[in-house]
Amino acid sequence: MRAFAYIRADSTDSALRGMGSPTQPDRLNPQVQYLAGGTLLLDLMKLEVLSPHQVIDINGLESEYGRIELTEGGLHLGALVRMSQAADDARVRRDYPVIAQSLAQAASAQIRNMASLGGNLLQRTRCTYFRDTSWQGCNKRQPGSGCAALNGPNRQHAVLGVSDQCISTYPGDFAQSLVALGATVETVGPTGRRSVDLEALYRDAQQPELETNLLPGELITGIRVPAGPWTRNSAYLKIRDRVSYEFALASAAVALDLSEGRVREARIALGGVSYRPWRAREAESVLKGQPLTQANATAAARAAFATARPRAQNAFKVELGQRTLVRALLQVAGQTS
Amino acid sequence: MQRRDFLKVTLAGPALGRLPPEGEAHSRQEEAPTRLVVDLTVNGLAQRVEVDARATLLDTLRHRLGLTGTKKGCDHGQCGACTVLIGGRRVLSCLTLVAAVRKPATTIEGLEKEGVLHPVQQAFIDQDALQCGYCTPGQILSAIACIEEGHAETRAAIQEYMSGNLCRCAAYPHIFAAIEQARPLMLKG
Amino acid sequence: MKGSEVRRGYRRVDAVLKVTGRARYGSDFDGGTSPAHACLVTSRIARGRISRFEETPVRALPGVLEILSFKNLGGRIKPGQTFPTGGYMGSSVAPLDSTTIWYAGQIIAVVIANTFEEARAAARQLKVEYIEEPPTASFAVGHEGVDFEGQTEKGPAVGDAIGAHTAAPVKIDARYATPTQHHNSMELFTTTCAWKDGKLTVWESSQNVYGYQYGLADQLGIPPADVRIVSPYLGGAFGGRSFLSQTTAVIALGAKMIGRPVRLEASRADGFTIATYRAETRHRVRLAASREGRLQALIHEGWEVSSRRDTYKVAGVDVSTRLYACPNVASSVTVCAADRATPGFMRAPAEVPYLFALESAMDELAVALDMDPIELRRINDTQVEPIEGRPYTSRALMQCFDVGAERFGWNRRNPTPGSMREQDWRIGFGCASSLYPTFMAPAAARITLWADGAAQVQTAAHEMGQGVRTVVAITAAEGLGIPLDQVRVEVGDSSLPPGPVAGGSNSTASVCNAVAKGCQDIRERIIAAAVAAAEGPLKGMIAREIRFIAGYLVCAAGREPLRTAIARLGRGALESYAENSPHGTPAGGVAGMYKGQPAFTGGTFLKDRIQCAFGAQFVEVRVHERTGEIRVPRLVGAFAAGRIVSPLTARSQLMGGQIWGMSAALHEATQMDAHHARYVNTDLAGYLVPVAADIGQIESIFVPEEDSLVNDLGIKGVGELGNVGLNAAIANAVFHATGLRIRELPIRIEHLLERLS
Repeated sequence: MRAFAYIRADSTDSALRGMGSPTQPDRLNPQVQYLAGGTLLLDLMKLEVLSPHQVIDINGLESEYGRIELTEGGLHLGALVRMSQAADDARVRRDYPVIAQSLAQAASAQIRNMASLGGNLLQRTRCTYFRDTSWQGCNKRQPGSGCAALNGPNRQHAVLGVSDQCISTYPGDFAQSLVALGATVETVGPTGRRSVDLEALYRDAQQPELETNLLPGELITGIRVPAGPWTRNSAYLKIRDRVSYEFALASAAVALDLSEGRVREARIALGGVSYRPWRAREAESVLKGQPLTQANATAAARAAFATARPRAQNAFKVELGQRTLVRALLQVAGQTS
Repeated sequence: MQRRDFLKVTLAGPALGRLPPEGEAHSRQEEAPTRLVVDLTVNGLAQRVEVDARATLLDTLRHRLGLTGTKKGCDHGQCGACTVLIGGRRVLSCLTLVAAVRKPATTIEGLEKEGVLHPVQQAFIDQDALQCGYCTPGQILSAIACIEEGHAETRAAIQEYMSGNLCRCAAYPHIFAAIEQARPLMLKG
Repeated sequence: MKGSEVRRGYRRVDAVLKVTGRARYGSDFDGGTSPAHACLVTSRIARGRISRFEETPVRALPGVLEILSFKNLGGRIKPGQTFPTGGYMGSSVAPLDSTTIWYAGQIIAVVIANTFEEARAAARQLKVEYIEEPPTASFAVGHEGVDFEGQTEKGPAVGDAIGAHTAAPVKIDARYATPTQHHNSMELFTTTCAWKDGKLTVWESSQNVYGYQYGLADQLGIPPADVRIVSPYLGGAFGGRSFLSQTTAVIALGAKMIGRPVRLEASRADGFTIATYRAETRHRVRLAASREGRLQALIHEGWEVSSRRDTYKVAGVDVSTRLYACPNVASSVTVCAADRATPGFMRAPAEVPYLFALESAMDELAVALDMDPIELRRINDTQVEPIEGRPYTSRALMQCFDVGAERFGWNRRNPTPGSMREQDWRIGFGCASSLYPTFMAPAAARITLWADGAAQVQTAAHEMGQGVRTVVAITAAEGLGIPLDQVRVEVGDSSLPPGPVAGGSNSTASVCNAVAKGCQDIRERIIAAAVAAAEGPLKGMIAREIRFIAGYLVCAAGREPLRTAIARLGRGALESYAENSPHGTPAGGVAGMYKGQPAFTGGTFLKDRIQCAFGAQFVEVRVHERTGEIRVPRLVGAFAAGRIVSPLTARSQLMGGQIWGMSAALHEATQMDAHHARYVNTDLAGYLVPVAADIGQIESIFVPEEDSLVNDLGIKGVGELGNVGLNAAIANAVFHATGLRIRELPIRIEHLLERLS
């Protein structure tokens, strides 16, 4: 871990002042980083994947960004709400089970106590070639250096949204549930406050070194999830080798608005199989207006993976991802346990 | 939440809050570590320690405060051996900058009260919920929090909510039994 | 479960220290004063040499005190022999000796700085360039008729195995594979070295303190008497701390150079390459049987990956050929060189991979015979090993199967694969045999009995969590007839009387027999004085009828307090220094122990007999019909391992072993980038070991067994027995659940998915 200066921000203004005016090239390895839970930042700083000169501790802003609010219009999650807080919140569990489940199945109890929701959205891939700086082929860490995972051990890697530059997997769970529900994030930055569609926050794999469309110095302050008839009828299914404390091999966030056995509206996002939190709109379209049968669920899953690009060791994810989605759909529809 | 009285971070080295040099994206001007004086409360005792800003709570406990009961198993938040309580919540001390600690910390050394073991410590002995014992301090602190969080009502809940603490000797079944033994005693007293 | 009722009152004697954080592990010491901190720099290439090494800028970084590399240490550390070739090292590569790279992750420099943070940051700034050669990562495919290139040695053989296999009516011929695995004990590899008046003290968790002392002295060219190894508690070992790693000598020299204690805390990732690991293996097993299931031929060929420098092998055909009665046996082991670190012992090193192959093959044979797999084992059970015809000192394999089957409910098993289901889960029952050789080694112990009736036992045994302090304390408490809490046990220090390396499950048998001897010596001295005394209740009694019970000398005629009897000798303390030399110890075996080279005997090594512990492993697996996850709701193991000194700690060890077996079958594998011969999952997020949520119901049953031949106390070891055969039992259960025979570990979702509905 490289040396850095540590400051505490006690207001949004002081946080932004500490950030100064970061420049565009800074986006690869920003010189100033916000510190919330630290579970991601400290990990990557120890590995020197990130090496900021300055760390701004924003945990003092909890009173401002640490609340969960439920209104008729939807759910508002402050960015400094801890994962465990949202996972255990009775209102979230009742009205937005997919969100509570995606959080409860992520990481460990200790990490969930530490990690902020805002930071969680910005998780970085677990790809070894990215995390271990002694490897030379990683376009995400060193643009133009290649991708050692293309022909290396790639069991964990993505099959959806990949490119020849990068096949890394987005490792989170929470973002899938939010993307399925059409959430937006609120940010504040040197140029002011704005609200961004979460799905659009994540960039594609063409330029893997740039993962999000956050502007330099921008801070996520909150997440807004619109209400909808599907949010209560939702679930997150995560498939992995271990029963717990492991990143997904495949996951599905599913929310359904069902009426008399027919799907009025389906909201689906996939994880563990994709470069970024992956909204499966093709699958949603297949289901729209149809009865939720095994056959239709299977057709939807096939549509979701129509563009999959498997590699040597992760070809099974095309099959597993489809099966995971089918199981999640049938589970939300009450047709299986 | 603003328990600033427990902690003050003050400067021991170069200017605190120095803004980054502009336009020098990847050239680091100096490597000199920032030294900070940190006040923290550990096991009820106020401590003042001068640290490198990079120091984690884990390394500070072990090497500066002589509290070696908290263990390092991975240093990356993957094993749970370094679990401590901060403000009563279980966290990983390896991923916590000591400078960022705002509330009192409890480590394994702080559980025994006037020579009497904590019910979870006693239950770990009674159930032989340990072998090499290296993960045990983290297991015990995690178990205490698990019970207090209300995540120990069933065997299944215990298993899920204790999954952040690896035990390579695999004393797991006995750990679950210890938590089941200690829970009623903790909730009673 | 009956066994657990025995001596329930005993508890782990060091449990209080462990639950309060007061037990001090190798990594908890700081060398007496504020130490400097070291950080490793390791090679990113697997084969080639260093072409450029730019240390000057790093020396200028804040806090940096010294940089160790081939530049200043080349030729300073003597290359050592590996343990199997009579040395003390995990690898024969001398650390920091030259620019040559033998494997990825090899130490190429050590940066020493004032603080941990400074050392870690500076180490990353070291710029190193290499000339790289294409490495061999694993087995190299062989030429015509040869599976993999390597050095082949014939193993145990009898009769005409090929001929019998050809002629037999029922046969199988199958290939199996097991992966690279790493011990990953919870404690990191940490070394703290301090010099004082020319003498070196090393605080490092070690399961072989005498071996480390003599090995390190040899590496450094100093007298062994000037080296002390301190390791009171180990945070797990599992074989990984048996041999000197690549770090200790380097840190010792670093401490000498800067004139200050140096502490190295290697990272979790470093741990994958600076010490040993379980080698990748391949197997071909051919079995043939009569239609009644009697084995007619057994051919086991094994292949193991080793390093380019050392031909380390575990050669498990030594046991796999002796488990069942069979008139025609052939075997061989081929060691294949790759550009990797040298492998080493990991919990049941030979038995885990070789019995995976054999016990999977036995299940396949049972299917081919349409026979219950337990019955197949019963038909081929034997009390005499089939190669040289030596008798087992005791063997309760089928009793284990009977007790285990009853407990498990094996009779509820519908033998048709895929026939048992519950909701979306397919259920499979599987079983397999377990065995582990009963090894022993010479051991010494010093017993001190004080005038107040309290005792101390000192021996350089190793507390890895197996409970050696507890079994030693129990043995001494029984031997002297005093309460358990009156016994103090000191272990884990090379300044104590020597004990053997804690490996091969030998510690309890080896050490307790020495302790018992010492206690007997003290008893005899006290009794002699008591019966010869001019007065007292035992005056003139028959010595051999006097027992030591609960602080008294007792015989039919009366009793005398132990303190009174000690006082009669007019001494403040009675001391006995005992050595135990087990049956079969070769000449020089005891002397070797004092140099950290105890002669292992027992197991399959004896001329007149063979001694092993046995067990039967039962498993229930569930495979999700849709998504293929494999879960293990139940493990039942029944084990016969002679006298169980401490049922509490023995049960914990067996239970942990069973979970290890499950882990070996379903979780653990060190993955490699074959192009670069480098591991890729070198952390605890990528190297999967079971977590709490993976654990089902686990039963570890002791099947009572008395064996008066194996050693005086009748002890066999249980440290490794629990994880042998369980990998095969799981593969067999997966077959039963799904009809899919998976012959490669670990078994994962992708192996099953395509064939599920």
